[in-house]
Amino acid sequence: MRRIWAVATNTIRQALRMKVAAIFIVLLLVLLPVMGFTATGDGTLKGRLQTFVSYGLSLTSMLLSLLTIIVSIYAITSDLEHRQIYTVVTKPIRRYQIVLGKILGVVMLDVALLVLFAGIVYSVTSLIPQFMKASDQERQAARNEFYTARASLVPPVLDVQKDVEALYTRLLRNDQLDLIYPNMTRDEIFKQLTNRLRLEKRAATVGQMLVWEFHNVRPLDPNQSLFVRFKYDVSVTPPDEQVYGDWHIGDQRQFLPGARVQHYTRTVRQTRKDAVRKFHELEAPASVVAKDGYLAVGFFNPPLNETVVLFPLEDGLEVLYKADTFTGNFLRAVLLILCRLVFLACLGALAASFLSFPVAILFCLVIFFTGSTSGFIVDSFGYMSETTNRIYTYTIQGIIQLLPQFDKYSPTTYLVSARLMTWGFLGKVALIMVIVQASLLLAFALIIFSFRELAKVVV
Amino acid sequence: MGPRSRRRASGNPCRSRNPRDNREPMDYAIETIGLTKIFSDWWGRARVYAVDDLNLQIRPNEVFGLLGPNGSGKTTTIKMLLGLLHPTKGHALILGGDGTHPKISARIGFLPEESYLYRFLNARETLDFYGRLFGLDARTRQVRIEALLDIVGLKAVASRPVGTYSKGMARRIGLAQALINDPDLLILDEPTTGLDPIGTRQIKDLIQKLAERGKTVLLCSHLLADVEDVCHRIAILYGGKIQSQGHVRELLQQTHKTQIVSDALSDTAVNRIRRILSEEHVDCEITAPMEKLETFFIKTVVEAQQQARPTSGAVSTTQIGDFLAAGTRKENILDKLVASSVAEKAPVAPARTETVQPRETVTPEPNRDVLRKLTLTGAAAETERVAPESGPRTPPVETPAEVPQEEIRKSVLDKLTKDDTPNPPAQDGGSGHA
Repeated sequence: MRRIWAVATNTIRQALRMKVAAIFIVLLLVLLPVMGFTATGDGTLKGRLQTFVSYGLSLTSMLLSLLTIIVSIYAITSDLEHRQIYTVVTKPIRRYQIVLGKILGVVMLDVALLVLFAGIVYSVTSLIPQFMKASDQERQAARNEFYTARASLVPPVLDVQKDVEALYTRLLRNDQLDLIYPNMTRDEIFKQLTNRLRLEKRAATVGQMLVWEFHNVRPLDPNQSLFVRFKYDVSVTPPDEQVYGDWHIGDQRQFLPGARVQHYTRTVRQTRKDAVRKFHELEAPASVVAKDGYLAVGFFNPPLNETVVLFPLEDGLEVLYKADTFTGNFLRAVLLILCRLVFLACLGALAASFLSFPVAILFCLVIFFTGSTSGFIVDSFGYMSETTNRIYTYTIQGIIQLLPQFDKYSPTTYLVSARLMTWGFLGKVALIMVIVQASLLLAFALIIFSFRELAKVVV
Repeated sequence: MGPRSRRRASGNPCRSRNPRDNREPMDYAIETIGLTKIFSDWWGRARVYAVDDLNLQIRPNEVFGLLGPNGSGKTTTIKMLLGLLHPTKGHALILGGDGTHPKISARIGFLPEESYLYRFLNARETLDFYGRLFGLDARTRQVRIEALLDIVGLKAVASRPVGTYSKGMARRIGLAQALINDPDLLILDEPTTGLDPIGTRQIKDLIQKLAERGKTVLLCSHLLADVEDVCHRIAILYGGKIQSQGHVRELLQQTHKTQIVSDALSDTAVNRIRRILSEEHVDCEITAPMEKLETFFIKTVVEAQQQARPTSGAVSTTQIGDFLAAGTRKENILDKLVASSVAEKAPVAPARTETVQPRETVTPEPNRDVLRKLTLTGAAAETERVAPESGPRTPPVETPAEVPQEEIRKSVLDKLTKDDTPNPPAQDGGSGHA
């Protein structure tokens, strides 16, 4: 361990004194504070904060990622290139210890820089409201929708498999399939039917009430608000493109016949008129949640509407409540970035163990940018898999699974929308990115480095 | 430091007295068995035998010179010994084992053909880094670093990044890093390249001191003078094969000639000798012996330093004083550093005893030997070098002879070899050994 430590500290010295890191550090030190006062977003305080946190953390993450790639590769290849490895590897140190030391050095550097820059982003984020003129309303909005970490609850996706099958058989028997769904395969029809049935469960005809039940709702503070975020869709668009809604939020169990209630929980009722196909948030005190974490949200479609009101499947309705502080969320976002950096350090070590500096950099950058757009890539291959055969499933898909999914696990989306990033989620990312993927890369790097010839052939 | 300290702790006095007993099951410090390295191109064709069936045996406690022209396989051999290259065929054993094993490499000091250093570290940090790789504790590192900086004469520039060092300085720090673990075996690849004559001399002296302390040295060079001066045995490589091998003196001795060195003789004495020899029907040539250019050069520089100390010399390569004028405290440290368990046996240089020295009387005290080499006008050790013409430089050499001796008497080298006998009084430069 002492030897690994010696290599690690030497790597940090190298990164700092060879001015590789200096460029990135100076860049960030200049850019971050400047951005704090130039990022305006949509002009509101909240918009400004969202823009700054988003750009600030993305920039930090991006530049530190590049720095990690460069330093981890340089630390190994320059030793080989400039042959300092001759004097190092002939000392009583195992080769794997050298590589581990290098990676440890890079990760330590990353941690230090991440603490520094995340600290700057955090400080600027906390300072912006003090240096900005903003109305109380804006400040209120920023407090409720930015300086918080809201957990999100969405209604569970209903299992409609049996209903779909029944419906399919009925349609088939009545020879209606070809009429309604011409030229479609069975799979495609099933998909359509599933969507249709699911949507039916989220549609309220005039005079009908929809009730969603949530369990395990744990607001951080019952004195604060919770929000129902919703989006209407309608079968017939009203002339003013607005519909009425009669909302009931609270513990509906206490109204059921024969219910034995010990503590009455507060119930909120709101009637409002909102534009269709746009997001709205309905605020209610968090005390509407029952002691056991139960919450029901009901929507009544009043006769005034004259149209069916639907809540789209993906984002029609969710309940948001403050589950943690902004600080906690920010901390987890930073740790998420660290996971990414650890992965990249191991990737760099692997590339450097068998490639020369420029090629290794290229290799890592390709992986990095692929990882940053992995959603797109996975999706496009996903579509392909529906049409291609099994060979795909067992080859390309396997490789894609090994790709890092930086965009899927983006830290900023959580902060911008003030969504709670749970420790569970962070743990999952750490498990995938660090414990599985990075360890695998590291193992390959160690094996290659341990068995390769370190000297160049000179005859 | 594991094996080393354990061995010391075992502290068997008999063992430490006799180096031969110190070898555990192994017979050789370095042994290669049919070592072969073939380099092929990408397609596996055009094969070059860099090293071809090499069988090398280097005994503990000897200074072994591996000679050969460029590309003869010297460095490749070393790289295979140290595990930097994998042999195509054969085996290489260092200290009886695999050179890459930490237990073995903890006892090896290696100086590559160029000092490959971390340019961004300064001399102290460099040595500290390597010390930490050996797992030395902070105190030991501190002590050794200061001692080594003294030995290699880099104390004045120790806080400068080594990237700014001249080649000679880089070489010195490279040598220092090879010594930080007090190695049993030193592998030096071209240790004197880039060094000025004084630096070269110092390194050569250091190698001899280390050999006297029981170290084994594998010296790899194509500078023949270096090898001739310090090595006990040599092997000449060409095309990856050993072309010639043996003791230096045996290989170089001219058994059909005799050389007599004496104080300056009168013409009559010379004529009498000529007469005696002609009666024996032997041709002879009588001249004033030539000084080695190296000795002369060192003397001249020392003299110049005495008169006006150059202040520009951030580089200590020309400052023999920097290296030599170590105080008592440092010398003790140095002693500790260089001394191994065989330190006590230093008075009789063990490896020397097996060298054949038919026509040279070597004083048993190694310090005198070195003193003479540094200062004597008639380089007694180099008997083979018969000077054909009389040199015009003899007189200027005589006069300043006193000064360098003064200087050198204080030398670290001296103290290094201090075997409980006080420094010998300055010897008369001209005293002859017949």
